[in-house]
Amino acid sequence: MTGYGVELADGIAQATERLDALRPRLVVTDAAIAADPAAGPFFERARACGADACMTLLSGFDRVPQILALGAVTNLLVHAMPVLAEELTVTAHKLMRGDLFGADKYLLWGTQLHETTLVRSTQRTGVVAKLEAELKSRGQSARVAQMVRLVADELISNAVHNAPVDADGTHPRKDLPRDADLALDGRHAVRVRWGCDARYVAVEVGDAFGSLDRDTALGALARQHARDAGAGAGLGLAMAYRSCDHLVFNLAPGRRTEVIALVDVRYPPTEQPPASSYNVFVEKTQ
Amino acid sequence: MTHGRLTITPSSGQLALSGSIDESSELDKLLARAQNGALVLDLAGVTFINSLGVRDWIRMLAAATQRGITVELVRVSEPIIHQLNMIIATRARTHSFFAPYACDRCGREDSMLIDADAHGAQLAQLVPPGMTCPECGTAMVFNDFPERYFSFLAPQDL
Repeated sequence: MTGYGVELADGIAQATERLDALRPRLVVTDAAIAADPAAGPFFERARACGADACMTLLSGFDRVPQILALGAVTNLLVHAMPVLAEELTVTAHKLMRGDLFGADKYLLWGTQLHETTLVRSTQRTGVVAKLEAELKSRGQSARVAQMVRLVADELISNAVHNAPVDADGTHPRKDLPRDADLALDGRHAVRVRWGCDARYVAVEVGDAFGSLDRDTALGALARQHARDAGAGAGLGLAMAYRSCDHLVFNLAPGRRTEVIALVDVRYPPTEQPPASSYNVFVEKTQ
Repeated sequence: MTHGRLTITPSSGQLALSGSIDESSELDKLLARAQNGALVLDLAGVTFINSLGVRDWIRMLAAATQRGITVELVRVSEPIIHQLNMIIATRARTHSFFAPYACDRCGREDSMLIDADAHGAQLAQLVPPGMTCPECGTAMVFNDFPERYFSFLAPQDL
């Protein structure tokens, strides 16, 4: 499907042998590797052999700290197993080509993406209400439209208030009242795109600061059990995650952040898996 | 009366809320409308709540506890039920709520009102009450996972 060869290895020892022989461009492991003391050296060797990215598949969330501690892992793909083939394919393409950004990668070819750029923070409520209305007018259920509205609202709110960072590394808009009317000029502009290909509604929200780091994004993942989260920072991302089927963070540190949420519109709620997928991609620095 | 994008309408000892609960809702001000130590909120018209609204909601519940006011919910809309299920701290005594049902015969999907007091024992067993399709009169099926949708009713969490 991807045009690349795929080799399977059963265990770290076998995988290590194949590293030298095959010199793979992409290494994919499952979460069980985190518990193996040989995991760190394996990842180091994989990178030394020229593997561009090491993607780890997680079936749960409890091993995220262990995976991160390995250091060499640059991308995480989290899903209640089995991972959807389409998700794995898109992810492999993104990593192999080094082209991470764009919701269009998750939609069928030719799907139209509607685009809005917010230039005032007060546009948020109107933009998300219009998005909900548009989806309903195109035949999506109230449930889907409401979920998409919530996700878009939270992602835009994060891009407006949490993303801006100054030279000192402080976030000057983080504690400003969320209903304040702020100009979103220059780097502050927030771009929203959305589209639907009859499989997914995709919402993409991007900012030009690139201040969201992987650990913060994964912190939201760790708090995906928002039932216990209370009302602290990160609640918005946790709620967004719980309201969609697939949340993707594309991070280019210091340059750009893009968050994509996918809501599966193919199935009724009773036929959908209860857990959502969650990916974090960090653009390689040369 | 409006608080931001939320409209508040007093009605026979209750406050009917409609619209969006968000950063502009000032929910704590509703506590001044409590009667006999209770604030009864009709949430049928609430179509949206975001994380800022959730924070405001939790603050309102905490302030109510401090002031000895009981917050009770009736006709809770589906978007609010999703938050009650997701975040334990948002929960309050719920007398009735809307839930998704679908009709396999005519395809109608609807949000149906469930009386939580009358069906308490059944709901505790995660059995959705029966509903009849308003369109064709056929028995409807519950259109979500009961263990997920009814989790806000779990007694240990209240």
